[in-house]
Amino acid sequence: MELFEQTASVLSEMLQKKECSAVELCQSVQGRIAAVEEKVGAYVTQCEDALEQAEAVDKARTAGEILHPLAGIPIGIKDNISTKGLRTTCASKMLEQYVPPFDATVMQPIRDAKMVITGKLNMDEFAMGSSTETSYMKKTHNPHCLECVPGGSSGGSAAAVAAGEAILTLGSDTGGSIRQPSSFCGTVGLKPTYGSVSRYGLVAFASSLDQIGPIGKSVKDVAMLYSLICGHDNMDATSAYRTYPDFAAALQGSNVTGLKIGLPKEYFGAGIEDTVQTAVMNAVHLLETNGAIVKEISLSSTEYAVNTYYIIASAEASSNLARFDGVKYGYRAANYDGLTDMYERTRSEGFGDEVKRRIMLGTFVLSSGFYDAYYKKAKLVQRQIAQEFAAAFQQCDVIITPTYPTPAFRLGSQIDDPLKMYSGDVCTVPVNIAGLPAISVPCGKTETGLPIGMQMIGAKFAEQTILRAADAYEQLCGGFSCMPQTL
Amino acid sequence: MKIDIAHIAKLSRLHLEPEQIAKFEKDMESIVAMVDHLPDVKDTLTVDPNNAMQLREDVAKEHKFKREEMLANAPEVQAGCLVVPKTVE
Repeated sequence: MELFEQTASVLSEMLQKKECSAVELCQSVQGRIAAVEEKVGAYVTQCEDALEQAEAVDKARTAGEILHPLAGIPIGIKDNISTKGLRTTCASKMLEQYVPPFDATVMQPIRDAKMVITGKLNMDEFAMGSSTETSYMKKTHNPHCLECVPGGSSGGSAAAVAAGEAILTLGSDTGGSIRQPSSFCGTVGLKPTYGSVSRYGLVAFASSLDQIGPIGKSVKDVAMLYSLICGHDNMDATSAYRTYPDFAAALQGSNVTGLKIGLPKEYFGAGIEDTVQTAVMNAVHLLETNGAIVKEISLSSTEYAVNTYYIIASAEASSNLARFDGVKYGYRAANYDGLTDMYERTRSEGFGDEVKRRIMLGTFVLSSGFYDAYYKKAKLVQRQIAQEFAAAFQQCDVIITPTYPTPAFRLGSQIDDPLKMYSGDVCTVPVNIAGLPAISVPCGKTETGLPIGMQMIGAKFAEQTILRAADAYEQLCGGFSCMPQTL
Repeated sequence: MKIDIAHIAKLSRLHLEPEQIAKFEKDMESIVAMVDHLPDVKDTLTVDPNNAMQLREDVAKEHKFKREEMLANAPEVQAGCLVVPKTVE
C-alpha cells in the first residue's frame, strides 16, 4: 500500500515509530497529485513549501521534540478559509488575487501541530452550490467517476481525500457542504455543532449557519482533526464557552449496544432514490443486529426546511457579500462612471450567476414589504425545526438519514436548474438550521461504483455520541474503502 | 409573483445586462414561488436560555495589522490611502 492510501491514524503511528518520514509521506502525496490532479482538479493553489514543512517535522522529531499525533500529516484547506500569505480565492473572480494578511483561527492549531499544508481546495463560488460547478477557477471531477460532480460546496476537499491528494482536509458546511461531497466521494465528513469551531477567518456566507469541519478516510481521522480545531475563540462572538474531550481517544471500545437510533419517516419518502434508501437501511439493520434499538420518529416540519434554509442563508449572504465593493480588497471593474457604477460593475463582473441569484433572493426577502412574509416567517420555522429535533433527542441518541437523495450526478446535468439543485439539500439543511452536529459515512455503492452516504445526526455538542456510533459502524462493516481503484 | 428584478438588482448593487434580465427574472420568480411555501407559526421568539453564547468585555486593543499589509490587497492605493471615484463636486 502506498503512503497516500493510508489513513491519518495509521500514518500517525508509522511516523511516530519512524516507519516512514514526513518527507516520504509528503513526497508520496505530491507524487499522487502529479499523477491524478489533471483528471480530478481538486486544488486551486498548491503550496510550494510543502516539502520544507515536512523536512521541519522530521528535523523536530530527530531532535527529540514531542510532536502532536498529526505532525507531518498532509492537509488541504478549503479555499474560503483564510491562510496568511497564501492566496484565498473562494473560487471567485472577486478574490482571484486575494492574499490574506492573517490566518483563520483554525489554522493556528494546524500550524502548531506541524501538519503539512498541501494547498487550497476548489469549491463552489463563495460556497454557494452543491456540485463545485459554480467555481470560477476550475471544474473538479469525482474520483469515483470523472464524468460526475464531486458534490459541493467542499467538492475539492472531498475529492482530494478520495483521490489521495491529501490525507485530511478542512471543509465548511452551511447547508450540507461537508456532508454531501463526502457522500458523493465516499469520504467521512463531520459538520460540527454551531459554535464549536471558530469561524474567524472563514469567509462569511451565512454566519448563523456556517461551520468549519474535517473530511477524512475514517471516523478516527475525522475525530483527530476535529479535536485539534474545536474550542472557544475570543475572535468569534458565536463561539461556545466549553471544554471538549479528546474525541479520537473516546472512540476506544465504541459499540452500538443499547444505542437508540431514530429514523425520521420524512427522510425516507418520495424523492430519495431506491438505491440510497436500500443502502442506508442495510446499514441500519447491521447496527440493529449488533444491539442498537431502532425506532421510527417524525420530524414533521422537514418539508419546510429547504425553503427556510434558502431564505435565511440568502438573506445573510446578501448582507455578508455587501463588503465586496471594489474598494478595500478584491476585484475592481476597469471601466466605470462614478462611485455607484463602480460598485455595480465590480460586483456584476466579479460574482458569478449563482452568487448573484442568492444576493438578489436575500435582498428580496429582506426588502420592505416582504420581510415579514419571508425572512421573519423563516426564522419562526427555524425555531420550530430546532424544537422538533430537541424533542426527538429525548427519545433517541442518534438520528439516521440518507445524506443526499441520490448518488453523485453528472457534470452539467443540473447546473442550469437551480430549483432541482436546491431541493437536493433536503436531508442536510435541517441540521444547519437547528445548529446540530452530523457526520456522513459511506454505506455502500451503486452498481456503477458510486458511493452512497449515511448521515448520523446528534444533539447539540453530542459529537462524541455520533463519532462513536459512526466508528462502531465502520468496524462492523469492515472499514471504509474511500479510494477508487480505477483512478 | 411578479418580481421587479431591476429594482432588486439596484438594491443589491448589481448591474444586469439587458439580455440577462429575462433569465434572472424567471429564475427569481420560480425560486420565490418555491420558498413561499411556509407554514404560519405563532411568534414566540424569545432569548434562548440554552444558548452558549456570551459577549466578551468591550476592551480597546492594539491592532495587530500593519497599514501596508491591510492595503496590499486594495485595487488602488495612493499615499497610504484607498482611492475611490470622486464622490463630491
